[in-house]
Amino acid sequence: MTEAAAPAVDRWSGGTCPFGAGWRKVMMWWFIVTDGLLFAGFLASYGYSRILAFDWPDQSQVFSLRDIAAMTFVLISSSATMASAVLAAREGHRQAALRFVLLTAAGGAVFLGMQAGEWTHLIREGARLSANPWGEAAFGAYFFLLTGFHGTHVLTGAIILLVTAIRLAGGRATPEGVEMAGLYWHFVDLVWVFIFTLFYLL
Amino acid sequence: MRLYWATWGILLLVTLLMVWADGAALPRTALVAIMLAAMLAKASFIGANFMHLRHESPWIAATVVVGLLGTGAVLYALIAPDAVRIHAMMGAR
Repeated sequence: MTEAAAPAVDRWSGGTCPFGAGWRKVMMWWFIVTDGLLFAGFLASYGYSRILAFDWPDQSQVFSLRDIAAMTFVLISSSATMASAVLAAREGHRQAALRFVLLTAAGGAVFLGMQAGEWTHLIREGARLSANPWGEAAFGAYFFLLTGFHGTHVLTGAIILLVTAIRLAGGRATPEGVEMAGLYWHFVDLVWVFIFTLFYLL
Repeated sequence: MRLYWATWGILLLVTLLMVWADGAALPRTALVAIMLAAMLAKASFIGANFMHLRHESPWIAATVVVGLLGTGAVLYALIAPDAVRIHAMMGAR
């Protein structure tokens, strides 16, 4: 057997993960891919309806781009604090990791508050699942569906982060556990990158 | 940790570029191209640096890229032509 072939056989003959990572990380990535496919389906459906529509509202007339950009800034910053938390946990700096995790959770809470404010504003203007005052009826449905599902993921992520923080404070969290929470949080940020671009800007 | 905050800065700059482009009255094709490129650039930075995909096995990276982006692109490519056709038919009536 050649040297190049031997590692390939070892990788796939059992006893080790062929993806070169622990089972927790591989399964978290598989979850991220499947959950991402949910949003891919929503966004593809939104794209279809958008092309079909004759009267899709001008987003600049409906949303305050400054507020949406601020929400994006908050989520990006929370991703940076989460990455810092993962690094601190890996280096054994438990207090620093705890601080960064709490900062990340706070960022998530601020984002959710801003999202709630946006929903309140649109509902007061007359936006519903089946109608809205600006144009195509599906606009309201897609807005609430996309931001609602994303917001639910942010809320879930914030809860996961609070649990991680409690475990860190009690000295029970592992660096891998913090990393798994981090992967989920970055996924939530990643989805927002697509929603922000495809729904709010284009 | 410097890498993370440098990535944060780059993501912020790209976001500001996207906001500027949105208000700059660019031709639609150019606007779409800039937005899609910026979106994919941001996604790449988040995946590579924050999620450490650059340090993972190429198999994981390929699963994520093909599984998510590839499937999403195929989904859209399969249904978009129908939407264009139906839109044209409805507009002709």
